[in-house]
Amino acid sequence: MLALSDFLILGAILFCISIAGIFLNRKNVIILLMAIELMLLSVNMNFIAFSHYLGDTGGQVFVFFILTVAAAEAAIGLAILVVLFRNRGTINVSDLDTLKG
Amino acid sequence: MAFERPDLIPVLPEIFVVTMACVVLLVDVYQRQSNRMLTYLLSQATLVGGLILTLSLHTSAPEYTFGDTFVKDTMSDVLKGFIYLSAFVVFLYSRRYLQERGQLTGEFFVLGLFAVLGMMVMVSAHSLLLVYLGLELLSLCLYAMVALNRDSKTSAEAAMKYFVLGALASGMLLYGMSLFYGVTGSLDSRAISTAVTMGVGNEIVLKLGLVFIVIGLAFKLGSVPFHMWVPDVYHGSPTNITLFIGTVPKIAAFGMTIRLLVDTAAAMHVDWQQMLIILAMLSIAVGNVVAIAQTNIKRMLAYSTISHMGFLLLGVLSGSADGYSSAMFYTLVYAIMGLGGFGMILLLSRAGFEAENLEDFKGLNERSPWMAFMMLLLMFSMAGVPPTVGFFAKLSVLQAAVRADLIWLAVFAVVFSVVGAFYYLRVVKLMYFDKPVDVQPIVCGMDMRVALSINGTAVLLLGMFPGTLMALCHTAFN
Amino acid sequence: MEPVQFVFYAFATVLVLASLAVITARNPVYSVLFLVLAFFTSAAIWLLLEAEFLAITLVLVYVGAVMVLFLFVVMMLDINLDQLREGFAKYLPVGALVGFIILVQMVIVLGPEQFGLDRVADPVKHGPDYSNTKELGNVLYTDYVFPFELASVILLVAIVAAIALTLRRRPENKAMNAADQIKVKRAERIKLIAMAPEKDEPAEG
Repeated sequence: MLALSDFLILGAILFCISIAGIFLNRKNVIILLMAIELMLLSVNMNFIAFSHYLGDTGGQVFVFFILTVAAAEAAIGLAILVVLFRNRGTINVSDLDTLKG
Repeated sequence: MAFERPDLIPVLPEIFVVTMACVVLLVDVYQRQSNRMLTYLLSQATLVGGLILTLSLHTSAPEYTFGDTFVKDTMSDVLKGFIYLSAFVVFLYSRRYLQERGQLTGEFFVLGLFAVLGMMVMVSAHSLLLVYLGLELLSLCLYAMVALNRDSKTSAEAAMKYFVLGALASGMLLYGMSLFYGVTGSLDSRAISTAVTMGVGNEIVLKLGLVFIVIGLAFKLGSVPFHMWVPDVYHGSPTNITLFIGTVPKIAAFGMTIRLLVDTAAAMHVDWQQMLIILAMLSIAVGNVVAIAQTNIKRMLAYSTISHMGFLLLGVLSGSADGYSSAMFYTLVYAIMGLGGFGMILLLSRAGFEAENLEDFKGLNERSPWMAFMMLLLMFSMAGVPPTVGFFAKLSVLQAAVRADLIWLAVFAVVFSVVGAFYYLRVVKLMYFDKPVDVQPIVCGMDMRVALSINGTAVLLLGMFPGTLMALCHTAFN
Repeated sequence: MEPVQFVFYAFATVLVLASLAVITARNPVYSVLFLVLAFFTSAAIWLLLEAEFLAITLVLVYVGAVMVLFLFVVMMLDINLDQLREGFAKYLPVGALVGFIILVQMVIVLGPEQFGLDRVADPVKHGPDYSNTKELGNVLYTDYVFPFELASVILLVAIVAAIALTLRRRPENKAMNAADQIKVKRAERIKLIAMAPEKDEPAEG
């Protein structure tokens, strides 16, 4: 028998890995985008686990919309990344220091 | 399966805006003129039409539709009205600026209209799902709008920072929402609110969820310590986009804060009050102090926005109907002042020249006494000098804080707004007592001149007669 | 250990290791591939939770479309790997520590104390004739029709934004405009010039 807490802890581990990933890869935008995908995955894990144990479809519907929005978000994020690379020839965030003050 | 057809009347404004946005998208493709007159006029007509629809559908009793997930009440109607008006002014101010730079594309108007739709959903959302979708619709439009000037290095950089931090904030918000769903078993604001009040489920899990939701909100509002993106994005975006980001979404962010904290988690007021106190104190202090060190006026206004968001939170955290209505008044007044302030930067910019630095405002009085006077009014209002409306906005928020027995917090806010008055008055000093560096004549169309004048005088007139707007905000919460 | 538990722990281990690899891999291409692995294993775990439709959607939409988009972009951009790794080792201890502390706090709140089997009972499994897709479809087009329409607007915004940001009209592009070609009139292409008749000079020998 699996308990709800097993799935929630798995979600929490994924969430913390993504936070650590954002912290560690501050220079590499593409890994940052992937860490954000991981964070959304952990949220989805939570919603599906709750939905199963509550016997309510609302959580699954929410995940459906998160997947849709995340796909749209990835498209726009990568488009911005391409624009950035075309303009500057790098995706290194520490090179992005035009804006400081 | 029984399914009742939802009442579509309350969502007519949303349906109208989305239809018109698609029409604008199509019309723009077939447009040959480089000034995009038809696209511009249709977009403005959309906003005016939306305003008329919202006003004519207004009822004093709240209406719910789509199974309780969408609400149309006085607060949502007033906020929507101001969202249309501000977006109208943003489009009006932006047209000449974009045209001079050859960046007048239909996408600006289309994305702007979709962003307006996202904000309308945010202020009317009565379920976690709708809050999230409205927020994402707004954010995705804003990320793209910041990067729309594809050849600028700074805009691409600003867009990337905005995107990464915005997506991170959404992730945090979602994690909090998932915990709320898990404990209460519902996505509906009303059902969650009932469950929380009854004390169903685990309080500590709800508190953890609340922490994540407040962090997400703080990112979106741009309050300290989650403010890192604000100055960079305001500085790096094209000025007309800064004007948009700096004003209209704040109205929606206020609406979202109320929907999430008050409509959904009112029973946890004690918990979120403590978190908001920290956010408000840090925002007011950091915003006002760091703004003094800025030489770029867009960055200066960015830090000023941060401190204004602190004042907004001050109203919300007092947790009474009075507090909420004063925060709403503050938000609307801030939007008016922000439109004027960023509009002035647009006015002084011209092809190949951005009036971004404080120096560019030197001697404005010699170049155009009337516009200098308008800027003076706006700066006085932002600083909170009577009889401008900014004074009454600050006063009502502080009164709410005092009534909630947070006198020390009110004193703290007053001290730092006195510190903050320095950098607003510095702009006034530059305009009136220094020799102009930039001596080119100010060129702008009649529409912009009239709109800016109305915008400037509105700050003074509302200050002398704040009653109507104040009463409007009051009815929203009573 | 019951079989279902074994399946869960096996997939959960792979999922955690794959996500760790995503944020630590040297090469972004490896990161993307590890993320694909993470999505596959999560889909398997979602099957344990009887969310069949979402599990298959995750594989089709995420692995099939979004991750391929990521791979395209990573391979298209010429990324200097060494430069991007700077500071990684320096931040590693702090990052790991912060992540671990947050994890411990979250586990205390979300652990068996609150959500163990004694608190939340395992729900009865659905019968073989149960269709998860049908159930989601039933609510998606009725109760959630408004969010559904909004999601379509969000996708439209993504299309408009991605095209507006990346489509470029290159000057060297030699595309033809069919309408212009058809509209051409004879007068625009042929010019008749009145000139005196020329006489052929006899060739000089």
